[in-house]
Amino acid sequence: MSAKKEELRIGFYVCHCGHNIAAMVDCAVVARYVETLPGVALSRDYKYMCSDPGQELIQQDIREHRLNRVVVASCSPLLHEHTFRGAVEAGGLNPFYFHMVNIREHDSWVHTDRGEATEKAKALARAAIQRVAHHKALEIKKVEIHPDVLVVGGGIAGIHAAMTLANAGKKVYLVEREPSIGGHMAKFDKTFPTLDCAACILTPKMSEVGSHPNITLWTYSEVTKVDGFVGNYTVQVKRKARYVNEDLCTGCQDCISHCVFKEPKFADDFNEGLGKRKPIFIPFPQATPQAVLIDPEVCLNFKRNKNPDGSPVVGDKCKKTCVEACGEKHAIDFTQKDTLQEVKVGSIIVCTGFKTYDAGRSPAYGYGNYKNVYTALEVERLVNASGPTGGEVILREGKNADGSPKTPKSIGIIHCVGSRDKKTNLWCSRVCCMYSMKLAHLLREHTGAEMYNFYIDMRTPGKGYEEFYNKLLEEGTHFIRGRVGEVTDWAMTPEEEGRLVIRVEDTLAGVVRRIPVDMVVLATGLEPQADAGEVRRLFNMSCGGDGWFLERHPKLAPVSTFTDGVFLAGCCQGPKDIPDTVAQAGAAAAEALVLIDKGYIEQEPNTAHILEDECSGCKSCIPLCPYTAILFDEGRKKAYINEALCKGCGTCVGSCPSASIVQNLFDDQEIFSEIEGVLAYD
Amino acid sequence: MEIKRTIKYEADRVPGFGRDVMSVPGCEALEHCIQCGTCSGVCPLSIYMDYTPRQVMELVRSDFKNEVLQSHTIWLCASCYACTTECPRQIRITDIMYELKQRAIKEEVYPKRFPIPVLAEEFTKMVHDYGRISETWLVTKMYLRTNPMAALGMAGLGMNLMKTGRFSLKQDKIEHREELAKIMEAVDHENGKAKA
Repeated sequence: MSAKKEELRIGFYVCHCGHNIAAMVDCAVVARYVETLPGVALSRDYKYMCSDPGQELIQQDIREHRLNRVVVASCSPLLHEHTFRGAVEAGGLNPFYFHMVNIREHDSWVHTDRGEATEKAKALARAAIQRVAHHKALEIKKVEIHPDVLVVGGGIAGIHAAMTLANAGKKVYLVEREPSIGGHMAKFDKTFPTLDCAACILTPKMSEVGSHPNITLWTYSEVTKVDGFVGNYTVQVKRKARYVNEDLCTGCQDCISHCVFKEPKFADDFNEGLGKRKPIFIPFPQATPQAVLIDPEVCLNFKRNKNPDGSPVVGDKCKKTCVEACGEKHAIDFTQKDTLQEVKVGSIIVCTGFKTYDAGRSPAYGYGNYKNVYTALEVERLVNASGPTGGEVILREGKNADGSPKTPKSIGIIHCVGSRDKKTNLWCSRVCCMYSMKLAHLLREHTGAEMYNFYIDMRTPGKGYEEFYNKLLEEGTHFIRGRVGEVTDWAMTPEEEGRLVIRVEDTLAGVVRRIPVDMVVLATGLEPQADAGEVRRLFNMSCGGDGWFLERHPKLAPVSTFTDGVFLAGCCQGPKDIPDTVAQAGAAAAEALVLIDKGYIEQEPNTAHILEDECSGCKSCIPLCPYTAILFDEGRKKAYINEALCKGCGTCVGSCPSASIVQNLFDDQEIFSEIEGVLAYD
Repeated sequence: MEIKRTIKYEADRVPGFGRDVMSVPGCEALEHCIQCGTCSGVCPLSIYMDYTPRQVMELVRSDFKNEVLQSHTIWLCASCYACTTECPRQIRITDIMYELKQRAIKEEVYPKRFPIPVLAEEFTKMVHDYGRISETWLVTKMYLRTNPMAALGMAGLGMNLMKTGRFSLKQDKIEHREELAKIMEAVDHENGKAKA
């Protein structure tokens, strides 16, 4: 009300934005019109309001014309509200005596009639002029940032982000769902286009993470709850029982060799089921941490029934030769239970990665039906020296003439499996062209087989990638441009007998071909993790229609999310290769460092508060608040809002039956006068 | 060896043909074609075609009307719908083939003695006139118009079928054919309007 007492002197500025606005809105007409409105002391149109001279103009006018309110009609507040608030503040006014009108995205860019677009700009300007009269001076609040960071996911993205922060002296909690960090990259044999060994470049980083004093590494763990807000998150992590004390286990693996199962018997997930492991195992030789774990589903010392808390019942059937072998170390603990731990962090980096497309969803390619059809990830393990066959490429089915396991003489690699297809995933998975060529090179190197690659388009946009394609062409790999119609074992000629036939149109030659091969490799695309939806809700992120986590801006804020203090890196944001993943992880770490080193963040004062005299104490607002910011004072029977937690969503304001909740920047007077301003225009 | 000019000039195109086909309900998705060749790869008859289904799609989109309407491909299509099922862009290729067949018939550029257009024509004519199909007559008419000698060669089989009662010369008909005629007249009228 005090604003009413002093004389209202509004300054209005309409921006041409070059031709962006001026081409569709007659800015001079708008300026002349606004000049006639009550309370307006000054009205100008200017070419670029966001430029330095434009901002200086505002400051100068505030001083010379004693302006006490400012309205700028230009682009979206998302882009320049901050800029103009700064200019208003520099001119000596409270920055919240400013209001911005969007006549670009909401007007000039979406209309085709100049006359009508100009009229709309006038109406919007009038609404803002009426609204700004009711604006109040507000204070920006500062919130401290907790310096610790949570990194979720221990693939190459999480590893790099954690290392970057830890090397800068920050404390990091790295949480990984699997028993070891390393992610998909740990499964790869070589990396394109340089063909350096994935393990050779990854495992040193993994062990550095394992031993870094600033990193708390929790593998076999999952984030179960996230509370709080930027700078002050409380995170609950479930640490799953591995039945081995990580701190006591030295990774000697004597327990594994002494297990009562003499031979490995159970499908080995790390090797994509191509190899076998025992009930007590370590996922792969360079696993970090170097600690074994027990699978209670198959270990003989566990019964098959469950305790009421869901943990398996410990039996006493097994001779426990593993415990004997462990001896003095006493690392094996069958009574271990899942535990919950809570940590406080200021920012979170989500690097939860991807899953590969399930090739069984494309039945025409015969995966699961024909044994010699493989996924690319299976082949990565097959050609890997530490893989289930020691790097020897032998087929699941068939024998050579001498009775030994069959080695392929010709191999077809089918690109785009599950990608670029409206029935599965419409996106290009970005890495398949390159990894398919890498596998073509490796398989040829290992077997000397005739290699065929079937592609729709060859996509090699990366440093050294086109050169790699050229190298493959020189090697004599056949590149056939055509999406494969089907893989079949139905032979039509004697040379096709007993082999897999790939039926495809060679679109460059313009003929339909049948190509018999011994092995088919499916270049499966990348998909969001199966539980991406739950993870998204856990961290209050958004995702696009395709399920990948959504960055705040595709170009200008590629690692930020719509939740302050939560950042993204790696394939959870969309398919990408290792160089891009590492670059993004570094960027996310840098964004977290910005928060930490600044030490505080400024919060938009658009929070809600309760008019205590009017609150009836009905409590209807309390369960509605998505940020649990509303508390109840039992003594006075009144609700009150913790402004540090309030994010200004307005839910409580709308729901209060006695209209006793008011939100800064959106109080009734401001909103109604704005609506009247739009509607009053004739 | 006969050497023929294979180049296509702009004058060979019929501008607007592709857009026109794509404006027919069911044919719109053609504009999303990425020329991957899945249609040809799954087509059981592509090995006999002069243009592969993928080539037909591109020829339509590029306005090569004459080439498409005169190609064997549209008449070899057996409507198995494998291409439509497998197309990664969900283009209804079989439906587009039907659209092209209709246009070829309308423009009378189809191969006159080729069984498939004749069969289609006789089939619709019989439905039109009697409201029901008699396979005996349909097949007989098709053979007589496309390959009478073959029909003659099958006379023995026909006689045997007739003896066992599997081959009747009676034309199946529905009742109230005057009502059918009214319906058909209305349909033809609407079709005429749509095509005009």
